[in-house]
Amino acid sequence: MNNKDLQLSRRGFLVKSFSAISVVYVIPNLFTHAEAAKPLDQKVSSSTKWAMAVDVDKCVSGCTACVDACIEENGLYGFDRPETDSQWIRKIKIQDIKTDKVTTLPMMCQHCENPPCCDVCPTGASFRRIDGIVMVNQHTCIGCRYCMMACPFKARSFVHENLTEQLTNAPRGKGCVESCNFCANRIDHGSDTTACEEACQKEGHQAISFGDLSDSESRVNKALRKKDHKRLRADLMLKQRVTYTGF
Amino acid sequence: MCKFINSALIIIITLNPLSSSAHDGEKHVMKGHSKADMLDQCVEPTEMMQKEHFVFLYHQRDETVIDGIRTKQHSLANCIDCHVSYDEIGEPIPVTDDGQFCQACHVKTAVNIDCFTCHATVPRGKPMKSNKSVILEDQVENILISLEETNHE
Repeated sequence: MNNKDLQLSRRGFLVKSFSAISVVYVIPNLFTHAEAAKPLDQKVSSSTKWAMAVDVDKCVSGCTACVDACIEENGLYGFDRPETDSQWIRKIKIQDIKTDKVTTLPMMCQHCENPPCCDVCPTGASFRRIDGIVMVNQHTCIGCRYCMMACPFKARSFVHENLTEQLTNAPRGKGCVESCNFCANRIDHGSDTTACEEACQKEGHQAISFGDLSDSESRVNKALRKKDHKRLRADLMLKQRVTYTGF
Repeated sequence: MCKFINSALIIIITLNPLSSSAHDGEKHVMKGHSKADMLDQCVEPTEMMQKEHFVFLYHQRDETVIDGIRTKQHSLANCIDCHVSYDEIGEPIPVTDDGQFCQACHVKTAVNIDCFTCHATVPRGKPMKSNKSVILEDQVENILISLEETNHE
């Protein structure tokens, strides 16, 4: 073959690279827009990527709206034993060692793309749904709590006692591990907001933004564009879908 | 001896509880009234539901948890919504109470179920609605309100 045939002109190079970029990035985006709001009888798909962005600057110390909303949504009443009662989302306080600046932030399951809880689960009950939600299949959970030990964020809880007042939409019971599931039931019914985000918006703090990463106009994408977000313990390379900014 | 074994086998086979289902063709008699009392048939033919309801439930539970399919047809939440009885003051009676829908058969067949260590035994909490239905309901409500207003005028 002649060497000249392999040489690209500047124009040719630009045309080819732009078309390659559009094939990879632009065209799939057009399709995901078309299939928003999944019908009830369809499986979740990987074209939806649920994620959450938390702006710690906007999170108000002492406010527990997100925690209360989660408790109400999932019927997480406890036995007044904070050490062992279930918590799907909790407020934690962190202090910068250099500046002594104290910030509070909501901590929940970080919905890792490489979740250590799923790696250690002996029955496959801990799993990552194809749309990115990490959850527990309580039908197959044997309550060994390996996942609780593997989780670097202390996001999971174990139900130690018999429960009686469960909600229809949030089945939970003794002997199973549970954690935040991005309000999967709500989302599957067409909602695009979680209980905690809704509560935070209602309070007017707007610290939590939830949405679909593949929808460029979703609230989470808008928040991610506005500020630089980072993952907690990024050194573990878990690629969490919950990101934080402001500390 | 052979005759004895044969007759014993026949007796065992005819009396075998597994060869027939409890409540075959029987009507449930329960305290209170449920939505299901007013319907002719469940989501599948009654005969099929009596013998295979757990197959549907097992199938649906995996589809729901793993694939996020939330159809009502074979969902446990829908079973309870329809089959739960209400007492005189309109309070729902748990399906696991004595003589209630699930419990009545399961006591008779001595099959212990553990659905209800986790799942609610009565409809509890906000009913889950798909966005579309919410929008539709809003529209219907708006129409009703406007109708009422015109009536007042």
